[in-house]
Amino acid sequence: MPETKELARHRRERIWMWIQLMPVMTVLVVLFGGALVLGVAQSLGFAPWFGVNTFPDFSYFAALWGDVFFWKSLGLTLYYAIVATLLSLVFGILLALALVRTFPSKTLYKYLYKLPLMIPYTVGIALAVIMLGNGGMLSRLMAFTGFIDDPSQFPQILKTHMGWGIIAVYVWKQTPFVALTIYAVLLGVGRETEEAAAILGANKRQIFFQVTLPQILPGIISSTLIIFAFNIGAFEAPFILGGGFPDTLPVVAWRYFNDADYTLQLQGMATVVSIALVAGVILYSYLAFYRRYERRIGRN
Amino acid sequence: MTAVQLKGVRKDFGNFTAISNIDLDIKSGELVALLGPSGCGKTTTLRMIAGLEVPSAGQICFDGEDVSEVAVQKRNVGMVFQRYALFPHMTVEKNVMFGLKVRGIDKADIDKRLTEILDVVQLQDFRHRFPAQLSGGQMQRVAIARTLITNPSVLMMDEPLANLDTKLRGEMRRFIRELQQRLGITTIFVTHDQIEAMELADRVAVIFDGNLAQYDAPDALYKRPNSIEIADFMGATNVFEASISGKTATAVFGALTLQDTVPDGQAQLMLRGEAIDLHLDEITDEPNILQGKITAREFFGANITYSVECGGETIQVIEQSRRMVEIDQPVWLTIPPERIWIIQDNP
Repeated sequence: MPETKELARHRRERIWMWIQLMPVMTVLVVLFGGALVLGVAQSLGFAPWFGVNTFPDFSYFAALWGDVFFWKSLGLTLYYAIVATLLSLVFGILLALALVRTFPSKTLYKYLYKLPLMIPYTVGIALAVIMLGNGGMLSRLMAFTGFIDDPSQFPQILKTHMGWGIIAVYVWKQTPFVALTIYAVLLGVGRETEEAAAILGANKRQIFFQVTLPQILPGIISSTLIIFAFNIGAFEAPFILGGGFPDTLPVVAWRYFNDADYTLQLQGMATVVSIALVAGVILYSYLAFYRRYERRIGRN
Repeated sequence: MTAVQLKGVRKDFGNFTAISNIDLDIKSGELVALLGPSGCGKTTTLRMIAGLEVPSAGQICFDGEDVSEVAVQKRNVGMVFQRYALFPHMTVEKNVMFGLKVRGIDKADIDKRLTEILDVVQLQDFRHRFPAQLSGGQMQRVAIARTLITNPSVLMMDEPLANLDTKLRGEMRRFIRELQQRLGITTIFVTHDQIEAMELADRVAVIFDGNLAQYDAPDALYKRPNSIEIADFMGATNVFEASISGKTATAVFGALTLQDTVPDGQAQLMLRGEAIDLHLDEITDEPNILQGKITAREFFGANITYSVECGGETIQVIEQSRRMVEIDQPVWLTIPPERIWIIQDNP
């Protein structure tokens, strides 16, 4: 029967598809899924290798969430992440809009602006220390030109809870990333709808907010999702450039993990799970909000 | 109702000259096609009239008034793009209302004009759809409505029929022609397709390499092109070398009598296939008789093209398919003197 033969072939194709998916499934399930399960279990008191097994036990979360400094840390974490994401978004959009226009030496500039993407965060942090610190290049330059009498009078940018150094490093690194994403979307959108709007009498502001922005929104959503998720969990910039206690949540977690009392690692794991929860809730609501908007304008 | 004039318009992009020097006079209410091969500068010309490109030199005048320095937003023109450029995130009615909304027209007035214009383009039932849910013809009608609702003084279209299939093409051609005549709006469109230019335009401006090559009515352009390049571009197939002496043109296949005297010398002789009569019996009492033999036949439904060999040259004859003449059949061709066109290089 020809039908039976077709079915057998179909089954072979399906099995082959699963075989091809195996490597990535293994990585996802074992490394990511396994770590996640183990992390959550640890935060709930399951760590027999430390001689601790009170599973399930919410006391680590209770201790953490009952402490006022946890909320201060959370506030700082969110503040650095949100401000840096917004600034990167604004600068990235401006950069992408500039890049779709023609100007002299554009080819060179298209390589230059991507440079921070290839340089590691730690190098960016080192640059921030060299440039922005008291005694750094900027302060010495200001003192040299006579704006201030002594480099020490330079306003404190690094190691404050305002976090300008942390935000500067994030923005420096992430603006090109946002620009790259939105530039690609802009190329796909093309100039024609903007031109049509101009001919219909729209001014520059109306064209941007009513025609360009809604069309690049998918690029905005995906790039801000990625950088926000990074910023909320990033450790090295707030650790080196931050203002000390109270630290951001990832630094708090690191301090627990690094403590001589290794049972505090369970407390650290509760911190990490808290970060994941907060990030998850924010990112999920962000996406849900965007999906609602898309449905409202008829996109499915 | 606006007359459009281009005076010595030139456009350079860096070292590349897109338009060398164009003078063009478009009368109020006229439908003009800018025709030329791709890269000839016709789209650049249209974009300069719209205000999307600034000319490097020259003047663009609307009703005698220089608008070269007027910004695109203030020029009050309309443009229908080749791929329509509809706003994908807006419904049909929001697309159509856009031009009035950004001008700050009050809502009652917008609603009234929206209803009117949607009736004109017959899209009332589609007002809440998104562009992605429309067919090509419907998208084009939305683009036209979006433009017309702002009462533009000049309407511009980029390849208006190029993206449509054959059936829709005829429908849109009639629609655009009828609308243009009813509103009497000066309309300029760009095309690389001579058929599209001839079927739609009152006058056709042929542009080659950034220069205006000929500006004439479609039938004049078709029957009396002023250069070999234009004849070629307008799809002429029967072009032969000939020497002119008085009212006689002598080609390889024989001598033909002309209606008017043209300067003596070497020239190109152009015959339109449908202007030649094909006879199966010998003819003696008419001017310009050529004897030949059919060597090939192509059937196009309504028409048949015969290749007729006459004294070593092949002449294409187009006939309505009321009969089928067999290959190898000896035939006699007659050509009316007024349908012979002589192209001579300008001195």
